[in-house]
Amino acid sequence: MTLDHYRIEELMAAEALGGLDDGDRAFLDRERAAHGACTTCGSIEAGFAETAGRLGFALTPEPIDDDMVDRIIAATARPPVAADLETPRDELSARRSRRPWAWAAVAAAAAAVMVLAVVTLTPRTTQVTEATSSQRVVAFTGTSEGTLAMAFTPGETGAVFWGSGLPDPSPGDVYEIWMIEDGAAVSGGCVTPVDGVIALHVDANIGTTDTMAVTSEAADCPTAPTNEPLLLADLTTIV
Amino acid sequence: MGVADQPEARDRDLMARLRQGDEDAFRGLFHRYAPSAKALAKRIVRQSHLAEEIVQEAFMAVWRDPGAYDGERGSVRSWFMGMVHHRAVDLVRREEAHHRRAEAAIPEALEEQTDHADDVVRQLGLPEERRIVRAALDELPPEQRQVLEQMYFDGLSQSQIAERTGIPLGTVKSRTLLGMRRMRSGLQEVER
Ligand SMILES: [Zn+2]
Repeated sequence: MTLDHYRIEELMAAEALGGLDDGDRAFLDRERAAHGACTTCGSIEAGFAETAGRLGFALTPEPIDDDMVDRIIAATARPPVAADLETPRDELSARRSRRPWAWAAVAAAAAAVMVLAVVTLTPRTTQVTEATSSQRVVAFTGTSEGTLAMAFTPGETGAVFWGSGLPDPSPGDVYEIWMIEDGAAVSGGCVTPVDGVIALHVDANIGTTDTMAVTSEAADCPTAPTNEPLLLADLTTIV
Repeated sequence: MGVADQPEARDRDLMARLRQGDEDAFRGLFHRYAPSAKALAKRIVRQSHLAEEIVQEAFMAVWRDPGAYDGERGSVRSWFMGMVHHRAVDLVRREEAHHRRAEAAIPEALEEQTDHADDVVRQLGLPEERRIVRAALDELPPEQRQVLEQMYFDGLSQSQIAERTGIPLGTVKSRTLLGMRRMRSGLQEVER
């Protein structure tokens, strides 16, 4: 049975503001699927997204480093030209995943502190690459499609993860990142890809971790893994 | 034509040029929106360096795939700020899954903000947008405005708001809907 548009509107209002709880999200997703290409739903959603997006302009702008734009341009592959305008989105995603090296360049700019040398990250091979003398970038391998890489400085707190072309976890699930040492797993947090892309900072000390792993888990982000790893990265080979 | 339509036409022109790989168009978008985007991200994640990372990621996404913007679905500025907001809230939620962030950092209320960056704002041509949005927010009943701000600027979910304020969840939901409806029509009215 599907809901009337009042309830859907109520759920979409919260979704646009980023305040929808997980249970309600699953509910809305089901209703959305049931309504299909409903123009009323589409109009409600677009109207609230527009409204929410503009709320951000209520804040007083913050000065920002002007060099950032140059770093992005320098580090990132040029966008598609006009001929790509009609390209279906899934084909664009496929093309992105065929040139995963671009994500290493993304890492270089996003971390701002990293100066990456030649980096090649492919879905099925691990290559550890020198960043600066102290920073490291490592690629995950495994059964999942797409690419995932992690950048960190040994001995310092914090790691940055980038992924692209990653499939959505099952409905109601998230990806959970694990730091494994001597077989014991500590959660590094949970994440859901947006359009197949993951970009996150984990405030954890990789320290003596020997393996990083990614599993699909329930949205409550359990404290111990309940599923087999989809992606793994071996840190023991890092000098 | 509403007052906000002209900048939107300019933005759409920038996006069209960006699809051709025009670096100047990208710089144009960056200078127009990066300061507002940083303010939004910082308000949510409360740390300047994380806010800058979020802004950078969002602009990278635009630069790499400008075709992701669908002109049928809304304005460039809302689309872009939506991306920034989504990333910032996502980051906050992930941290919450780990450890509840310090309650000590009380975010400043919108009305308490000083306008020290007015010169920056003037340069970017956004004060009109800010005036419009603030005017629409001011028109909301306080209880609706509070729920919208806690959700959008503090990254709280509806159940978290209910828990913190003691307001029944059903009331939080109805205030959200009423506030968003009023905000939507308020923005349209203020622009006329
Ligand atoms: Zn519908």
